[in-house]
Amino acid sequence: MDLKKQIETLEKALKEELKSVKNQADLQNVKAKFIGKKAELSSFMKHMKDLPNDEKPLFGQSINKAKGRFNELIEARKEALRQEEINKKLAQETIDVTLDAPDFSVGTRHILNQIIEEIEDLFIGMGYQIKEGPEIESDEMNFEKLNLPKDHPARDMQDSLYISEDTLLRTHTSPVQVRTMLEYGGKRPVKIICPGKVYRRDDDDATHSHQFMQIEGLVVDNDTTMSDLKGTLLEVARKMFGPDREIRLRPSYFPFTEPSVEVDVTCANCDGAGCNICKQSGYIEILGAGMVNNKVLKDSGYDPEVYQGFAFGIGVERMAMLKYGIEDIRHFYTNDLRFNKQFNR
Amino acid sequence: MKISLNWLNDYVSLSTISNDALQASFTNQSAEVEGLYPLTEARNLVVGETISCEPHPDADKLSVCSVDVGKETLQIICGASNIKANQKVIVALPGAVLPGDFKIKKAKIRGVESNGMICSLKELGIDEKYHQEEGIHVLEADAPVGEDAIEYMALDDTVLELDLTPNRSDLLSMHGVAYDVKAMFDIDISIPTPSIKTSSVSNPLSISTQTDKCMSYYGRIIDNIEIKPAPRWMQSRLIAAGIRPINNVVDIANYVMLETNQPLHAFDYDKVSSNQIVVREAQEGEKFTTLDEKERTLKHGDILITNGQKPIALGGVMGGLETEVTTATTSLILESATFDPVTIRRTSKRLDLKSESSLRFEKGLDPNATRYALERACELFAKYASGEIRSTIQYFDNNNQSTKTIEISLETINSVLGTALAITDVQNILKRLEFSYETNDLTLTVYAPTRRVDIQTYQDLIEEIGRIYDYNNLAATLPKTVSKGGLSDYQRFKRLVRDVLSGLSLDEVLTYSLRSEQEVFDLARIKDLTPVKLANPISEAHNTLALSPLNGLVETATYNLNRKQPAVNIFELSKRYTVAKETEVLGVLMVGPYHDYRWKKAPNSDFFTLKGVLQALFQRFNIETISYETTQIENYHPHQCALIKDGETVLGHIGKLHPEYASKHTTEDVYVAEVDIEALYARLSSEPHYEKVLKYPSVSRDIALIIDEDIPAGDVIKSIKENSTTVLKEAYIFDVYQGKNLEDGKKSLAVRLRFEDKSGTLKTTTIDEIIKNILEALKAECGAVLR
Repeated sequence: MDLKKQIETLEKALKEELKSVKNQADLQNVKAKFIGKKAELSSFMKHMKDLPNDEKPLFGQSINKAKGRFNELIEARKEALRQEEINKKLAQETIDVTLDAPDFSVGTRHILNQIIEEIEDLFIGMGYQIKEGPEIESDEMNFEKLNLPKDHPARDMQDSLYISEDTLLRTHTSPVQVRTMLEYGGKRPVKIICPGKVYRRDDDDATHSHQFMQIEGLVVDNDTTMSDLKGTLLEVARKMFGPDREIRLRPSYFPFTEPSVEVDVTCANCDGAGCNICKQSGYIEILGAGMVNNKVLKDSGYDPEVYQGFAFGIGVERMAMLKYGIEDIRHFYTNDLRFNKQFNR
Repeated sequence: MKISLNWLNDYVSLSTISNDALQASFTNQSAEVEGLYPLTEARNLVVGETISCEPHPDADKLSVCSVDVGKETLQIICGASNIKANQKVIVALPGAVLPGDFKIKKAKIRGVESNGMICSLKELGIDEKYHQEEGIHVLEADAPVGEDAIEYMALDDTVLELDLTPNRSDLLSMHGVAYDVKAMFDIDISIPTPSIKTSSVSNPLSISTQTDKCMSYYGRIIDNIEIKPAPRWMQSRLIAAGIRPINNVVDIANYVMLETNQPLHAFDYDKVSSNQIVVREAQEGEKFTTLDEKERTLKHGDILITNGQKPIALGGVMGGLETEVTTATTSLILESATFDPVTIRRTSKRLDLKSESSLRFEKGLDPNATRYALERACELFAKYASGEIRSTIQYFDNNNQSTKTIEISLETINSVLGTALAITDVQNILKRLEFSYETNDLTLTVYAPTRRVDIQTYQDLIEEIGRIYDYNNLAATLPKTVSKGGLSDYQRFKRLVRDVLSGLSLDEVLTYSLRSEQEVFDLARIKDLTPVKLANPISEAHNTLALSPLNGLVETATYNLNRKQPAVNIFELSKRYTVAKETEVLGVLMVGPYHDYRWKKAPNSDFFTLKGVLQALFQRFNIETISYETTQIENYHPHQCALIKDGETVLGHIGKLHPEYASKHTTEDVYVAEVDIEALYARLSSEPHYEKVLKYPSVSRDIALIIDEDIPAGDVIKSIKENSTTVLKEAYIFDVYQGKNLEDGKKSLAVRLRFEDKSGTLKTTTIDEIIKNILEALKAECGAVLR
C-alpha cells in the first residue's frame, strides 16, 4: 500500500470538502471524518503492525504529520468561517453615516451676555472689579447724586419710567458707581465696571428699546487722567472691533462728567474711508465718557482736592448692532431662536 | 443749530478755511457737525422778465410766455396760475439743474416749444415751511434782468448744521459760533458795535419789577415803523437758520436773537395804552390770551409783563394777543429782558409753549447782551423799517454783569488731562478763546466772559482747554491704579450656572422685565408678594415688573413654536422684582424633544427631563440634598408640580403648565422651573469634600416593596436613609410597577441599596441587620411590605 498516495488522496478529498463547508457544524463533521478517531487516516495506524520495525517510525510520523496538516487546513477554514460570520453580522449593522446625529448641540448664550462677559474679562485683566446693583432705584441715586437735580434740563434727555415720585427704574448703571463710592467711604481708589439692565421711557422701534444693557466704568484715584481714559477706551474699541481700530474723542456733555466726550471708532467696514455704514464719516459712535464731575465725587464722599477719575458708559446693544450689522434692536428681546443661535462667539 | 456760512463770514473770515477743515474742527473741538450743504442746489438760474403771457393753444392751465432773460428773449411754457406779463421771475435756462437732479432742457409741451422753466421757491429746494407761496416766485420789480437769480436772492449760501450739547447754549448764537471758529482756527473776530441815531422824542416808559424772576428789562420805543418784507439777505439767512421770514419787524427780532442769543419782543405801543411796564408773578388761576389766540390759565410763579394794570405778555414765553404787532402798527415797544431760566422752563413745558425764545431763556443768557441786542435791533429797524428811535433807553438791570473768576494751576490742568502743557500753551488757548487771565507763576486767574454762562468751575476751564488742545492729541495710557481685579464668588457662580445650562443644550434668552399686569398675576406669582407697577408706563403690555423670568420664557416659547421650531429649550437668569428686594431667579422652560433626532422620533421632554436638567445643575455644585415635594400652583398641572426644597428651604418649583393655561399661549406640553439662585448660592459649601476611593467593589442589595400608590418614592428613599447606617452609600428606585398581580391602589417599587465600608468587606449579617431595620421602618412609616 502506498501510504503517501493514500494520504494525498485523502488530503485532496479534505480540501474539496472544506470548500463546501458552510458552517461550524458542517466543519465539525468534516473534522470527525478526516481526523477523528474513526477517520480513515486513523485507520491507517492499524497497518503499522504489519510493517517491518525499521519502517514503523517513518510510517507513524507520516500519519501524524498528515494529521497535523489536516488540522491546520480545518482550523484555517474554521477561522475563515468565523470571519465570514462576523462580517455577515457586521454587514447587517451597516449604517448611513451621513444621517444627522441627534441634536446635542451646546446651547447658545445670549449675544448681549456674551459681549458683557468678554468686556468684563477685558477689564478684570486690567484689575477691575465687577459691581452690580438694583434696577429699582431712588431718584437720589439715579439723578441727584449724579449732578442731575430735579429741575436740571438734562433730565429731558432721559425720560424715565417712574414707580413713585422718588423711585424709578434706573436709566443708567451710574447709581451702582455712586453706591460703590459711598461704600468705599471716599477712602480708597475705585476701579470698577457696572454692567446691567437699564430702562428709558422710549417706545420700542428699530433703534429704541425701553430696556437695554449698559456697561459703565469708573476709575477714581489721585492720579487718574483723561489720557488714561483714552487708553482704556482704545482697549475696549480694539477688543470689540479689531486690533487695527483707532478712536476719536469729540467734546460732548454729560452732567456727571467734565470734560465729557463722545467716542467714535474708525469704521471697520471701510477702515475710515467712508461708507454707508458710517454714513461717509469714517467713524462710528460707540460710547460716552469723561472725567468725573467734582460735584459727583463730593456727593459720593470723595474729596475732589485729592481724588479725580474717569467714567464711561457703553451701550451693549449698540456695540452688537454695529459689530454684526443687526438692523433692529428689538431682535435682542424677541429671542427668535433663529436669531439667538447665530451668535456663538 | 443751523448756521449760514455767509452770515458767519461777517464776523470771521472763512476764505482760507475749507469746508472739510471746518467740519473736522467743529466735530473734534466744538460740536458735532450733522450736515454741511448748500442752501439750494439750484444753479444757473437768471432773473427774467415776462414780456407777454398768452394761453397755450392746446392746454387750459398752461401759458406761453415770452421772457426777457437779458441776452435774449425766450419762449417758455409755464403752468403756474399766478404767471402774468411784466413780472420779474426766476428762470431756469436749458442746462440748469434743479434739486433732485432735475435737468432743464429744451422741450415741446403739447406741441409748443419751451426753452426753460419759470421757477417756484419749492423748485429751488426751499422747503414749504419757509414760505406759503403757491405757483412761481415773483421777484421785486427792480430785480436786475439777466443777473444770477440765486445770487440776487442771496441763496448762494452753505448751511452748517451742528448738533449742540445742552451746555453749549452760546452756540445758539452766531456770535458764539464765531468765537468758537476764532478759537479753533486762531483767526481774528469782529463783532460790530451798533450805531443808532435817535429822534428828539423822549421815551416815557417807566419800567419796574415786583419779582426777582425778571433780572433785567430794557425797553425802547420806535415810531413810524413801515411794515414790509425784510431785505432778501436777511430772509435768506433766516431760512438758512431754519426760521421762516414773516415781515421786517418779526424778522429783525429773530435775526438779532440769532446773532446775540437774546430774544426780543415787540409790542404795539398804541395797544399797550400805558407808559408803564411792570413785571410781576401771575396769580394762581389768572387767565391770559397769548398771541396764538389761546386763553391760558396761569399758575403762581409764571412771569407776567403788564402795563401796570393788565398783562401784555407771558414773560420769556409768548406775547399777548391784545398788544400784537400787526400791519397797522406804527410804533413799537421793543423789549430785551432776562428771566429766571427754571421758571421759563417750567412755564413753557407746562403750557407746551416751546419756542426759539423760551429755549434760549431756559439756558440762561449773557447779561451783557441784553442791551446790545436792543441797540442792534434798533439799528436794523432804522435801516430796514424806517423806524425812528426815541432818545432814551429805559431799563432796570439787577444782573451781575461781572465776569466769573476762576483760579487754576498748570499742574491741575496737566494732571487731569494727562498732558505736559507749558504755561504758554495754556495762555495761548485762553487767548484764542478770548478768555482774559492773569498769570501768577504757574497759576492762572481766568475771567470767563459772560457770554459763556457754562463756564463756572475749573473743570469747565479744563474742558475748554482740552477741547481746543484737541482730545485727539492726548496720549493713550492706562490708569496707574494697581488693584486686584476679578469676579466675586457669586458672580463666578452665576457664570457657571449659565455655562452648565448652555452645556446642557439650553439656549439663553433675555426678555423684558416689564410685563403686563395680567401676565404677572397669572404665572408663578408668589403669594403675598405685591408686583411693582409703573406710575407712568409706556403701554399696558409693559406696566408691571416681573415676579418671575417665566413670563418672558412662555412668551419666547410661544413666539418660536408659532414659527415652527420643533423644540424650545431655554433659560434666563433674571430677577424677581419687588420694591423691597430684587432677587436673582433662574427660569427654565422645555417644550418638544430635548435632543431632536429629525429622522427618527425623539421623545418630547417631560417632567423628568426638566428635573434631570436641574439635577445636573445641582450636581455641578455638589448639592445632593435637594428634595421635590408635590404641590399645587395656580395655572400649573395639578398633579405634575413640585416645590424644589433643600431641607426646609424652598429653592423654587418645577411643573407642567396647566393645559388650559398653556393652550392660551402654546399648544404644546410645556414644562417650566424656577430656582432662586441666591438661595442656591447660599447653600453651596465652599470646597469639595474628599473621601478615599475604596479598592473593592461595593455591595448591592435589591428589595421590592408593595406600597400604597399615593406614597411618593421620595418618602420611601428618605425613610430608608434615615433608618440606615453610614455604610449605606446610595438608595434608589430602579423599577416602578402597577397592575397585574397587584391589588388596586398599590404599586411595587424596586429599590437598590448600595453599601460600602471603609474598614473592609461588609459582613452579610451586618447588611441583613440594616435591611431588617429599614424594612421595619418602612412598614411603620410608609406601610410598605416586602413583595
